[in-house]
This record gives sequence, structure tokens and C-alpha cells, in this order.
Amino acid sequence: MKIKFKINRANPVASGESAEPYMQAYMVEVAEGMTVLEALMKIADEQDPTLAFRKSCRSAICGSCAVEVNGFSRLACSTQVLPEFRKMGDMVVGPLKNHLVAKDLVVDFDPFWEKMEKVSPYLVPDEGAGEVAVTNEQEKAIDSSQKCIMCGCCNSECNALEIDPEYTGPAALAKAWRFVGDVRESASVRRLEKLSEEHGMWHCVRCFHCTQYCPKEVAPLKAIEMLRSRAMKAGITETFGAKHTLAMADSVKKLGRLDEAAMMFRTLGFLRSLGKIPFGLKMEMHGKMPFPHLFPQIGNIKEVKAIYEELERRAGDEVKDKRKGPGSDRRKR
Amino acid sequence: MRAAIEGARAGLSVAVVSKVYPVRSHSVAAQGGINAALKETDSWEDHMFDTVKGSDYLGDQDAIEIMCKEAPGDIMELERMGAIFSRDPEGGIAQRPFGGAGYPRTCYLADRTGHGLLHVMYEQLIKHGVVIYDEWHVSRVVVDGAVARGVIAIELATGKLHRLHSKAVLIATGGYGRAFGTTTNALSSTGDGIGLALEAGASLMDMEFVQFHPTTLKRTGILMTEGARGEGGYLLNSKGERFMKKYAPSVGELASRDVVSRAEQTEIQEGRGVDGCVLLDLRHLGEKMISERLPQIRELAINFAGVDPVTDPVPVRPGAHYSMGGIMTNFDGETTIRGLYAAGEAACVSVHGANRLGGNSLLETIVFGRRAGLAASSYCAASPLPEFPEGALEQAAFDVASIFKRQEGEQASVIRAEMAGVMEEHGGIFRDRARLSAGLEKIRALKERFKGTALTDRGEYYNSELLSVFELGSMLDVSESILLGALNREESRGSHSRTDHPDRDDENWLKHTIVSKDPATGGLKISYKPVTVTKFTPKARKY
Repeated sequence: MKIKFKINRANPVASGESAEPYMQAYMVEVAEGMTVLEALMKIADEQDPTLAFRKSCRSAICGSCAVEVNGFSRLACSTQVLPEFRKMGDMVVGPLKNHLVAKDLVVDFDPFWEKMEKVSPYLVPDEGAGEVAVTNEQEKAIDSSQKCIMCGCCNSECNALEIDPEYTGPAALAKAWRFVGDVRESASVRRLEKLSEEHGMWHCVRCFHCTQYCPKEVAPLKAIEMLRSRAMKAGITETFGAKHTLAMADSVKKLGRLDEAAMMFRTLGFLRSLGKIPFGLKMEMHGKMPFPHLFPQIGNIKEVKAIYEELERRAGDEVKDKRKGPGSDRRKR
Repeated sequence: MRAAIEGARAGLSVAVVSKVYPVRSHSVAAQGGINAALKETDSWEDHMFDTVKGSDYLGDQDAIEIMCKEAPGDIMELERMGAIFSRDPEGGIAQRPFGGAGYPRTCYLADRTGHGLLHVMYEQLIKHGVVIYDEWHVSRVVVDGAVARGVIAIELATGKLHRLHSKAVLIATGGYGRAFGTTTNALSSTGDGIGLALEAGASLMDMEFVQFHPTTLKRTGILMTEGARGEGGYLLNSKGERFMKKYAPSVGELASRDVVSRAEQTEIQEGRGVDGCVLLDLRHLGEKMISERLPQIRELAINFAGVDPVTDPVPVRPGAHYSMGGIMTNFDGETTIRGLYAAGEAACVSVHGANRLGGNSLLETIVFGRRAGLAASSYCAASPLPEFPEGALEQAAFDVASIFKRQEGEQASVIRAEMAGVMEEHGGIFRDRARLSAGLEKIRALKERFKGTALTDRGEYYNSELLSVFELGSMLDVSESILLGALNREESRGSHSRTDHPDRDDENWLKHTIVSKDPATGGLKISYKPVTVTKFTPKARKY
């Protein structure tokens, strides 16, 4: 079956500047089972050798060939053309988002590696602890993070990264969790403090895209949630994100619902909240201000309290289990 | 990468130059595992014997002894670096059986062992501050007066040529599977380093030994790990028979790879294949076991062959998988050129001889990567920085410019496709004199045509076509060495199977083939060197 591939191309200009994009179409004879990567290679071999794209293992493990197919970030090598075409009725291939284009489907990946390097992506073992083996159970906590192939699909789809290019991003945060969650790691708290800084893990807006578009089931959002939870347990709560989380928990505990105005005061403090007055007025003008401005408690608040008590009891048990010491969950070889 | 870590530990200024970012390298695709005799009931001597036997007695036994003795220490070090091996119920490192091994001694991280270990190597590079020049393709290893002086590399993003002046150069560029039509190898496995070393005057060894992996997916050549058979998978022919019982009565599907590949090819040729394949049957293992132990295999079979191994057998056939041969080194990674080192699949120490056992290749990269890194570090400490020859950069720039200058000529992709066909047909599983000499003629003719290739892409930035010309040049040199070695070796040993000389001939051929460039003619010359035999005298090899 002949299918029209519409490819977003860009000719390179001086480095550091994004290239000028244009679209070029190619007709490709597609056989059953053929992948987008195979089609790109066919185009380069038979029609247009100037088409640039990255490729290597062609079996979804090296992470080279992430591109955008019909608007979504995918691995070209594990996306079959025919099912995709039948589903979407089109075949548009472009470069990853949130990255500068170097040429055609090749993006400048340096920022990706720089973000990775910023989270110190290596184990810092406790030198005095001797050999500590990780049990299969303990490995499970970081198993999904370990599946990461660093293809960049998550960063490409990340909404927070689009707003703040300096944000650490889901890929590097998943990597950070791989170490924070490792029972052998000795620098977890230092890592969590660093990740709590500006452009760090609290910048995630929890839109789920990273998890949804990851081709290897890494679930970066889950990793980010684990990091946040660990940071708060470690007492790193002097961040807007942590304060906001605590305010939210308190609001629900007290009122059984979110009191957004009060939460803002707790998160930002009094002075900073004053700065939000113009924003509040605009909301009021557009009829988006929650009403009433002060919320009453919900009726059956007792049930909410019971849930909180149960949660606190369980959290307490977890802490007790941990304190049983190295013998119980750390296995010496 | 393992060698670079050693250099950084020694306090040297080290850089990794790679045409792909290091986590993309093809070790990432190694699925099954890494061998080491860890248990009290196992021993390095047994590991050594299995490796020697697997190599069909062509492996150098002193080198194999080093590898097997040092393996457990390296496994422990990998864990210290951050790797997490799968565990057995007692909490020790779990080990699975692999083909050709008399003991389950293959350690693993589910079925993504290579991915896990490669990422640990990357982590350690960052930790040690090793400089990474990624997406730089080395176009020349600079050697003057038989001493290595650095490399010249082209930065793919900009097309700029760079001079990297160094005391030592270590080549770890992997294999050349892409010279063949059906291969498990990555698109980037094009034998670049082997070609560069040959060009620079180093010797290659045992190039005729190409391993064909028995279980690769039909259309794409994508690998189904040997672990699939290690965990109990069957191979069936069109009649539903477990045919391996005929060829290797005692171990069946877990005979060594050359034996299984030949058996499959025979079944297919004698009409008992299924559409050019045999069937890998995992159904009896059940969904739970397949999902736990072989999750990636299931995913690959579904995505790339449209078959779920839980419900249907997977059609597989042999495909080029591993280069036993490579740049000749001693067990410290030293080549025939001072300051030039090699390790991993690109090198030939030789520990794999005529056939490599599964789980020994990752092991080789770690053990001999470490050793070569150490040796290169001491060499650097003891030697002054040699001069970088005048004009080497200019010459390299001239070479690139002359490719650009050719206005009309064949496209590299046309020659590449023909080469892959020739190697498949003439250098495949079964070989004979007529086929090999015809193949050699054809490759030499392609080499002539290669000189006239021209580019369509004339841009400097990200010129993938230019890269493919460099790759093709290396693959043609590699292909010629394979066929030359194979034509001259008149016996059958390990992966090299001559239908006109079906038996192993220890009297005449218990020796390594050495191929190097003849400076007088510019062509290839061939010589031989004896095999080191220490503990195990050659015996007939049966499984």
C-alpha cells in the first residue's frame, strides 16, 4: 500500500539558532509490519539521502529514534506504519518538541544530557556499609526508572518544560529516583534538597504526559511523586511545592474541601500573597473567583477525619518497619 | 567505556569519542546476561573448559583463563558501581543456564542485562568526569612510525574536522554485523574501528569466524535472547518436532550457537522449515514466567513480529550476530601498534576462538576493557606525548573534500545493499571454495565501485549520507578480510563451516588467521600464528 509521508524538515543554520521549518511529502510503498523507522530509511535510501534522522538498534532499546508521529512523541522503530495510518488517517513525522531542531528530525539533545548530568546520575554508596545486596523486592521500587532508555519522549511532551526550559524534566527526575530509591544510596537527603530547588521536582504540573507517552513504561510522574513524598518525609518542607501540599492536606482535614484563598496564604506567605491581588481581580472580572470567598466546613467532616487518622496510623507503621533496622530489609551478602 | 573509567581513575585526561551518544551503543541490546563462576559448586576451571570447548579449541587458553578467573571480581565491582543483578530466592545473584555451558552461570538483570550495564558505565563516566565527544565519527586513527598519536574525527552536527592528539588510543567500536543482510546488530554496528585499525596498519585476527545467532526475528533480524531457550523454550520444525534432539541429543536446544544455527539451516534447506524459519515455542512456560523472566522478548515479538509468545510460537531464523574475530590484541589490549589498544567485540584476544558462548561477550568487554584501560594508563604515565604528524589533518580534510567533489557517481546505499547480499550468500553459515572465491571477487569489485560513490547531500550539518560512506568503506574492508580468511581456512571449525572440508583439522589448522594490509601492494596479506593450549588438549566437540 502506498502511503504519503509528510515530514517536517528544517535546514540547519548557524548552531544555536533554530532551523527554518518546511514540510516535504514522500510516497512510500508500505508492507505489513513496516515501522516508521524502516519507512524513513527507505526514503533516505531510495528517494532522498539528505533526510536526517537518528537511528541505531531498531529494537526500542537504544533510545535514538524518538520523533513525533501524528503529533505524539514515539520511537520511530516501534511504531508500525499501517495501524497508525489506519487509526489516524495521516502520517506526519516531525522532530521532538521542547528541543531546538538541528536538522530535519534531529534535535539538539545537549540540554537533555545536561539535565541528566545535573542530577548526579550515579550511585553514591555508603563507603562504610560494606557489600549491600539489593533484594528483588527492593529493586521493584526503582524497577520502572531503571527501564529508561533516555529517548526524550517524556521531555518532549512535558507541559512544565515548555514553560520553563530550565526545569529538570521528567527523564532526569526518573533517573534521580533510581538513586534516591536505591537502598544502597547514602546521599539521598542531599539529592532531595537539591531537587527541591528552583527548576526542580516541584515544577511538575502533574499532567501525566510523561507517563502516558513513555514507550518503556518508566512512569516518570510516579518517580516524581515518590521524590516529593520522600523529601517531605525528610523534612524538606520549606519549598512552595511542599508548603502547597501541606496547605492542601490541612485544608481538607479542617474543612473537608479546598479553601484556595487560605492555601495561597500558607504557600506564599502574607507579603507574596499581596502581589497576587491584581491576579485575583482579573479572576473576579472573568467570573472565575471561587464563591463564597471563605468556605464553610462540609457536613460530615468526621468521615474525613477518620480517613486522616487511618492514613497517619499506616504511615506510622511504615516508619516503625523501617526502624527495625538494616537486618530486616537490607540483606548482607 | 570500562577502559575510560580505568583511565580516569588513574588521573588521566580521558575522552570518549563516539558516533552515537554512549548509552546508544549496541551493548545496550545484549539481553541474556554475563557469565561468572560464583557458586561454590561451580569453578572458573569449568567456565574455562566450557569456553574452550565452545571456541572449538581455537581460543587462546591463557586469555580464557584470565577472563574466567577474574569474572567474579568484575561482577562484584559492577554491583558496587550501581548495577542490580536479579536475585535467587536465597538472596544471592541469580544465574540462568545458557547454551554450551555445563552449569547455570549466567547472571542477569531480567532480560535487559546489556542495557543495565551500559547505563552503569555511562553513570560512571559522568561520575569520573570523562569528556564525551558524542556524535563525532573518527575518520582516521593517526599512526606515525608505528606509534599511535591520536585520531581525527568529524563532528556530525557541524561537519567540522577535529584533531584529537593523545598518548594512547583505544578502539572499542564493536562488531560489523551490518555487513550482512540478516543481522541482530544495530544499524550503527558497521565495523568502523576494525576498518580504521586495518587502515592504520594493525593486524586483524580470525576474521572468518562470524557467529550466526539461532533465534532472530524473520523480517528484521531482531534478537530473541538465548535466555528464551535457557528458560526452557523449544525449537520446532514444520512437523512440530523438537529437531535439536537429533543434532545434539544430550543438551538439545542448549547446544552452542553454531551447532543450533547449522541445525536450523539444515531443517530449512531440507524443507522442514516454516516459511524460511523454524519456530521458537515458549507457550509451555506460561504467561507468568514469560512476563517475569522474558518481558522484553514478549514485547519485541508482539511489536516486531506480531506474535505473542504466550499464545503462539515465534518464527525465527539464524542471523549474523557476533564477530569472534577483530583487531589482534594480547590480554592487555595491546595491538601490533604502540599506543594503540582495542577491547570488546572490536578486538580479538582471543577468548571466543571459532565460536562464542552466550554470556561471554559482556564479560569480555568488562574484563578486557578494564585490563586494556589499565595497560593504556600505565603506558601513558611512562611515555611522552608523541608529535602529531604535520599534514595529517590536512590529509583528512582533503579526503572528505574529495568525496564532496565527485559530482556524479553511485549512491552508497546501492553498494551497501549489494555488499550485504554478497556476504549473506557467499559468507553465510555454509561455505565452500567456489562460493567464497566468487564472493571475494564480488566484494573487490564493489570496493572499486566504492571509490566512485558520490553524495546527494552536500550540506555540512548532520550529513548522514557522508557518515554512511565512511561506514561502507570500513564494512567493505571487513568483508574482504572475512572472505579471505574463510577461503584459505580449509576445514570446518566452530562457526566456520566448509561443506567441501566438513571436518576439523587440528593438524593443519589449529592456528589463528592474521590479516593485515600489505604496504607494498595496498592489498591484504595473510599469515598465521599458533593457538595457545595450556590445560585442555583439543578433543572432538559434541553436545
